[in-house]
This record gives sequence, C-alpha cells and structure tokens, in this order.
Amino acid sequence: MMKNFQSTACREFEASLEDYLEGELRGPEAAKLSEHLKTCARCRAALDLASLTTRLLSAGEPTADPGPGFSRLVMARIRLEQQRAGEKGIWLPFVSVAWRFAAAASLTVIALITYTTTLHPVPQQNIAQVRGAQSRDLVTDAGGPPESRDEILMMMAETNHGKH
Amino acid sequence: MPDVTKGVAASAPALALPITRSSKGEEERELVRLAQNGTEAAYEELVRRHQRRVSALVGSILRRHEDVEDVVQQVFLKVFISIGRFDLRAAFSTWLYKITVNECWDYLRKKKVRPLVYESDLSEEQISRLDGVVSADHPPESPSERAEVKELLDWMLERLPEQDRQLLVLKEMEGFSVHELAEILNLNVNTVKVRLFRARGRLMDVYRRRKSSGLNPDHQTTARQRKV
Repeated sequence: MMKNFQSTACREFEASLEDYLEGELRGPEAAKLSEHLKTCARCRAALDLASLTTRLLSAGEPTADPGPGFSRLVMARIRLEQQRAGEKGIWLPFVSVAWRFAAAASLTVIALITYTTTLHPVPQQNIAQVRGAQSRDLVTDAGGPPESRDEILMMMAETNHGKH
Repeated sequence: MPDVTKGVAASAPALALPITRSSKGEEERELVRLAQNGTEAAYEELVRRHQRRVSALVGSILRRHEDVEDVVQQVFLKVFISIGRFDLRAAFSTWLYKITVNECWDYLRKKKVRPLVYESDLSEEQISRLDGVVSADHPPESPSERAEVKELLDWMLERLPEQDRQLLVLKEMEGFSVHELAEILNLNVNTVKVRLFRARGRLMDVYRRRKSSGLNPDHQTTARQRKV
C-alpha cells in the first residue's frame, strides 16, 4: 500500500481544485484559481492527472440495487426477530424471579458468614477457660487425700499393680 | 450514477401510506414519523429508498465479501429497533449511513478479517485495458467489459490507504456528495475535498508506477480475504 505520495498541487488550492473538478467552483474562488493556474505548472499538472481519475472511476460499475424483494426480506427478518424477542419474553418473569431468589439466598449466606465470623466471635479467653476445665476433668488430682472407700481401694490396686 | 430516487413516487402510493408532503425531504421525514409510530409499510419504503446506497457503503468497506447482504440486513434491523430514538431534526440518511459504517467496523472486528486484499500483479493485457479507459480510446461498453474494468480498478484502489480508497469509491462510483461523506466519516467538508484531491493523485500514481515498472504477463489479479 502506498503512503509516501506527495501531491504536486499547492496546499492552499487543493480544496478549490477538487471543487473545480466537480464543477462547483463559482465566483471569486473560481477567479482566484484561474489566476493561479496561469502561473503554477504544478497545480495544472495535478489537475490534469486528477481529472483522469474521474474518467477511470466512472468506468467502474456502481453497486447494483439489491432488488425489489430485498425490502420484503428485511421486513421478514425484522418480524422473525420480533417473534424471537416475544418468545424470550414469555420466560422473562420467571427468569426475573429466579434471579431475585438467587440474589436473596446469596445475601442471606453472606450475612450469616459475616455474623458468625466478625460480629459474634468466640472469645479467646472463654476458649482458654473451657480448655482448662476440660483438662481438669481428664487429669485426676493425685495429690489430694482419698475422699471415699472406693478411692482408697483404687489407690491400693494401682500401687500393687505397679509393684508387679 | 443512476438516480435511485426514481420510481419512489410510484411505489409510495402503492403502499397506501398517508403521505401528503410534497418535497422529498419532507416526505422522508413523514415516512420516518410513521415508522416511529409502528407503520411497517413506511419502514419498508425507507428500506427500499436506501437499500442501494447502504449496500454500496457496506460493499465499499467490506469489499466483495459474501456477507455484504447479511450486514445490510443487520443494519436495517438495528435501525428499525432504534428508530424511535432518532431525532427528526437531523437527516435520516446521514444517521442511517453512520450506523452502517459502525456496523461494518463491528463486523470486521468480530470476524477478524481485513477487507479484500489483492496480492498479485496486473498482466500486460490488463494494463492495456486500463490504458484504453484512461485515454478514452476504448471505454468499456458491455457489462462483462465493465465488470473487468471494475476488477482492475479494485486492484488499483487496493493499493491506496483505506480512507483514500473509501472516499474515491463512494464519491466517484457510488455518487455520495462531499457533504454526505463529511457527515458519514465525521470529517470537515474542506478536509474531505483535500483528501479526495490527494487520493486522485495517489490513484494515478499507482497507475503510472505500475505502467513504468515493467510488465509481467504471468501475473494475474487474484483476490482473497486475509485473516488479521
């Protein structure tokens, strides 16, 4: 693709030269260009060259009309699209309710998680107390005096068992 | 450039539309108003009036792509959906053509294809054919000759920057005015004129360079779509 082409015409006259080609240059603008063309060979050459493009491009066929059936085809497609949109519309209320339900459920879950983790935390001190209580239950206080006959028997059994 | 508005006057009464305005612009505004109120026949008439130019515009951007007709239909579908939002103070055609240009670029972006690319060179015979057209010694007469010249022109136009090619095709081959092009492409009218004039120079430069660079009879013009 060419991009390095430099027009030979004077910059300030390019728009007027295009108008001149199109036969749309009138009045003082036309007179000014005429005067300029008398002395500027570069603009004359550019104009001659540009005028050839009009002949060249007019030799090409313009796009043909798609024909009388085309507008009917377009209208048929429009009706089809409208029908499709209508069919989608039947399910639209249900889809809307489903989305609302899903959104409400999600919000509830988020609220529950937030409540349990940040708004209502288990205090560390309580955990320590619970752990302490649990450990007291599990470990027998061997240092204290026996409180019942059964405990005395248990101690004697353990002592004898250790001897063997 | 054929007058696309011919036959409209005959077709509008056939649809029995309640149009009373006389001027073309007023008549079109009335059709748009009716289409906005849901009169399908009015919209069909608008499609009929603009289908050739919309096809030309799509064709100039996508080139001879097989999906041109589909894109044109898509344009008219989009316009139908959004016609209620159209401000009647503006020209319907300009609004329509702007939607067309946007739809084309969307299409090219989605499909990830660039417009038609000619990769081979012109043959000696083809160059001589163009010489005949430029010198006006042998202008194309039959439809097959015109189609052949169109093919050669496409080859030359392909060598221009995209905007140059588009401006020349729409202005010289499809009959769009400078003012229409300025509005469609969001450019200043003077800028369009300058770019058009420079594009003409570039086109002839392509032609002259090809002529002077020597001829290769084995080369044939081929075109294909290229993936980006």
